[in-house]
Amino acid sequence: MAAGPVTGRTLRVSPIFTPAVIDDIQEKAELGRYRIRGFGTLRERPLPSLDDLTFLPASLTRIPLEGYRERCVTTTVLGTRYAENPIELDIPIMITGMSFGALSYNAKVALARGAAAVGSSTTSGDGGMLPAEREHSKTMIVEVLPSRYGASIHDLRAADGIELTIGQGAKPGTGGLLLGSKVSPEIAAIRDLPAGVDQRSPARHPDFLGPDDMIIKVEELREATGGKVPIFIKIGATRTFDDVKLAVKAGADVVVVDGMEGGTAASPEILQDHTGIPTLAAIPEARRGLEDLGVFGQVQLIAAGGIRSGVDVAKALALGADACYIGTAALIALNCNRALYVEDYEALGTQPGACHHCHTGRCPVGITTQDPELMARLPVDEAAIRISKFLGAMTLEVQMIARACGKSNIHDLDPEDMRALTIEAAAITGIPLVGTHWVPGRGGAD
Amino acid sequence: MPPLETLTIDCQDQPIRAINAAIRDALDAGTSVTVVNPGARHNIGVGMVTPGDMTVAGSVGYYCGGMTDGVRIQVRGSAGWGLAEGMLSGTVVVDGNAGNGAAASIRGGTVVIRGDCAARAGVSMKGGLLLIGGDVGYMTGFMMQKGAIVICGSAGDALADSMYEGVIFVGGEIASLGNDAVIEAPTGEDDRMLDAAFAEYGIPRPGRLRKIVSGRKLWNFQHEEIETWRQAL
Repeated sequence: MAAGPVTGRTLRVSPIFTPAVIDDIQEKAELGRYRIRGFGTLRERPLPSLDDLTFLPASLTRIPLEGYRERCVTTTVLGTRYAENPIELDIPIMITGMSFGALSYNAKVALARGAAAVGSSTTSGDGGMLPAEREHSKTMIVEVLPSRYGASIHDLRAADGIELTIGQGAKPGTGGLLLGSKVSPEIAAIRDLPAGVDQRSPARHPDFLGPDDMIIKVEELREATGGKVPIFIKIGATRTFDDVKLAVKAGADVVVVDGMEGGTAASPEILQDHTGIPTLAAIPEARRGLEDLGVFGQVQLIAAGGIRSGVDVAKALALGADACYIGTAALIALNCNRALYVEDYEALGTQPGACHHCHTGRCPVGITTQDPELMARLPVDEAAIRISKFLGAMTLEVQMIARACGKSNIHDLDPEDMRALTIEAAAITGIPLVGTHWVPGRGGAD
Repeated sequence: MPPLETLTIDCQDQPIRAINAAIRDALDAGTSVTVVNPGARHNIGVGMVTPGDMTVAGSVGYYCGGMTDGVRIQVRGSAGWGLAEGMLSGTVVVDGNAGNGAAASIRGGTVVIRGDCAARAGVSMKGGLLLIGGDVGYMTGFMMQKGAIVICGSAGDALADSMYEGVIFVGGEIASLGNDAVIEAPTGEDDRMLDAAFAEYGIPRPGRLRKIVSGRKLWNFQHEEIETWRQAL
């Protein structure tokens, strides 16, 4: 690897001990521990992603719908298996669980209002339900996490859906993390923790361990809520085929799979970069799990992890998802990494466009902080409008793709509407490589 | 004012949804409940939020009294896993033994087990009192946050592992302390709390009670505490 000419010579840089690796080693030599940061994976080697797929719009073999005019349904129904009151959303894009604590009050309320304005939902996160979020949400999912911080039967009764969280894509197999700088007296009181403590959430639920016990746990949640609302089970994408089947067996109405591109406000860096499987792989595995049990279409599937645009959503739906969660993308719509208060980015040792310092609690734009002065930089009214516009724009993109593929309902998108741009994407998804009928491992090369 | 009547609910041949609906309706009407033929069924009395009295005439399965607020429950038998998990207030008294995770993550109220408890009793407790007449298994009080656990008998391995705050008292032997758990001398206030709890539930106070609290080395990362962290994480 060459670093470019310097004083007439070309300096050679190790491809093993790159500048980033050198920085990592020297940082750990200072810290004496693993590195912690927020945002999501920053690994330099790219992951197989939804970008490795392309749509095949209608031409002669299919008839397109008028892209800007004809009706294209986006209504999304979740929880039709057992729940008395399934959730009906106007769009297939939902706000994922991000805690009050990881996020500021203003950010949580803005997400709730923005989502409600376009008929979507919000999710509580690892810190209990913020009453103001419930108040401003049209549809709210309340998570039951291993930590049970702020957990209350009254909040579950106020929910439109319950999400039993087993893991998350950014750090499957590991509990949440909130460093002391964000454990303000208010957050500490909600979570029953000492203020300023480095909160390390449990990875295991306190009252069940395996999938057999989880069956009883799901029954308990149904009893507690009278069987009215859907029970989601959320898993970090790892052994997704088997995990999805176990979640279905446990009685899930909805399964959420969160790929390794999923974001976080704080996590050991190695978990973000080196654990889990990409969303591109998680969705087909989940679909196969549902099909294997004969419940594809009966148990709904939500895909999460690095979803950035309506095109990503359209691809996820075509692969088999019923809806998508977004997290980091929603925060970016709120102004995350925007070039405002640049001096504060610099004080953190970063810059707009490269900030992943959610864990510090010093978010320059007031999103991932508990500091009242910083939080004031995120006016709720404006922020809520940005969220509703972004969700609306994403939905228009999904419809645009669906119409081009000749579909009058976005949920009619299917794998046949796509081709793989790389051999590995073809192998992962089972979608033929462009220009061929070939799926690696399945024949069809002719 | 005490309830005027007691309703008997027979679990025989009834789905749990119907059993809990009957319990809920009775409590809402101000009626005490006696549940008979429980047959160690799971999820009996889950999610009850109207204060009142419920007696179960026999043993129960998982999560009896889970996610309740203000209910007084008596179990005239033993209990399975997750007894009273997530309770906000009220009391759950078990005459026999309890399985894993008794009083898991309760935020208030009192759980009394006159017999023994299996592993992880009081795990992630966020408040309230857990009083155990007998012995407890491993990792009792794991990641406990607030509240008090009182163990009249002996405790298994890794007692009070990684607790944030709260206090544990042990009358018998301690197989081993967990990460960052330390023993300190009880205070006069501790004694008064303990005397009141033993008197209220008619459990004899052990002659000696050792007090375990968090050493607080895991509260915030310090390089000097690397050995503790290596074991904890």
